[in-house]
Amino acid sequence: MSSWYKTVSPDQPSVVSSRIRLARNIKAVPFPKRMSETQKCDMLSLVKGILDGATLDAVGTLKYFDIADIPEEELYAMVERHIISPDFVKKEGPRGLVISEDETLSIMLLEEDHIRIQVLLGGLALEKAYEIASAAEELLAKGVTFAFDEQLGYLTECPTNLGTGLRASVMLHLPVLESSKMVAGLADSVSKIGLTVRGMYGEGSRSRAALYQLSNQVTLGISEKAAIENLNAITTQITKREESGRNELDRSALEDAVYRALGTLKYARRISSDEMMNLISRVKLGVISGILDMVDPALPMTLLIETQPASLQRTAGRMTADDRDICRASVIRERL
Amino acid sequence: MMCDKCGKNPATTHVKTVVNGVVKETNLCPHCAAKEGYGSFGKMSLANMLASMFGDSTQNVNITKERCKCCKSSFADIAQSGRVGCSECYETFKKELMPSLNRLHGKVQHVGKGITKSLSLQDQTKDRLKKLKEELKTAVDSEEYEKAAQLRDEIKELERKEDN
Repeated sequence: MSSWYKTVSPDQPSVVSSRIRLARNIKAVPFPKRMSETQKCDMLSLVKGILDGATLDAVGTLKYFDIADIPEEELYAMVERHIISPDFVKKEGPRGLVISEDETLSIMLLEEDHIRIQVLLGGLALEKAYEIASAAEELLAKGVTFAFDEQLGYLTECPTNLGTGLRASVMLHLPVLESSKMVAGLADSVSKIGLTVRGMYGEGSRSRAALYQLSNQVTLGISEKAAIENLNAITTQITKREESGRNELDRSALEDAVYRALGTLKYARRISSDEMMNLISRVKLGVISGILDMVDPALPMTLLIETQPASLQRTAGRMTADDRDICRASVIRERL
Repeated sequence: MMCDKCGKNPATTHVKTVVNGVVKETNLCPHCAAKEGYGSFGKMSLANMLASMFGDSTQNVNITKERCKCCKSSFADIAQSGRVGCSECYETFKKELMPSLNRLHGKVQHVGKGITKSLSLQDQTKDRLKKLKEELKTAVDSEEYEKAAQLRDEIKELERKEDN
């Protein structure tokens, strides 16, 4: 099971997780959209041959899965755990997934590109995540040749990923900046330096649980190292702003909001996914600001991920939305 | 600001209409905006935008009838879909793609990590076979028979595929 949301970094508690994604394609093979069924199956078995059962120092043994063999409920639960992309689940035709036991490393085969390597770690750990992704890439390079051009870098289906094919991102918890309406301004200024901010859950600009994703946009003409350093620097700046804003809050109003949220979570009999996220976000803020003393400081984030619809149904079976709200409330009561 | 229609959700779409000089402003939430037919802003996909960018550059270049040898895409296919067919297309249609790539990225010179080898998929299978056979030899030499048996099966499977 995933471990990224079960760790909280004591130095930068606003950084929930770090993610590295590398887009790679195999030379002289059409991109997934133009591949025949046979070409897809051949590619999957080629990659399976290289990665299935292989071991990487940092993450252990890798396992290959055919998407058709994974139940739909589990696939959506994986989306909720950020192991795979929603687009990958919605796609049709043969697809493969390689994951490490702890789900730190996941490799989507035949998503938009032939190969999408993803590494997800808790806290701010972009360099380490990149190292692991690189190791997985090197392992793959032993058996396949990547499509590469001296001028354009790694070749990808979508021209916006050309170059390094690297998307580095951090998930940030920014309840204070959000409540003071500063996120929109933030999005505007980071876009000028080649980064982008978007809500982690919910559509468009609306975010739930005050979770935002900050990631690099530029992939051509900038090295992997520079892109990661940029993102690191801006992340630190943003979290500092969040922190100083947190210290300026009216303490008794904050305590009241935190305890009200905790009270509802502890005693409610029905909680919708939306309500859960908003309450958990406040409880998480309570833990970070030292109001709540939890034995496991990662519990809020764990509940936020594990009581989402597909994750609930994965353990408790298929339910109607009403039953899910009842089940969610009871799971939360138990764990708190 | 809340939605003028339902009053329940925050307004994210702001519509200004001018009819006979009378300005009317409406603020809508995403749900009501979609109902009123303003939702199509969101459907402006990346592929659509890229397609129009690629399409632009065809005005300056004589559209080539050439098709990519690897995936059989023509430049018109790429310009229509906003999606490149395969890695070889970047070479085949470099002249046509470059103006848009320049506009998209500003600076078109990769400076990150690189690779040196280049093999076709067939050669890749051959390469892999060669590696597996070497591994098999080492496994036999060091009397790791379980590993050797596994490698032998993998080699057989690859050779069978190659013959097809």
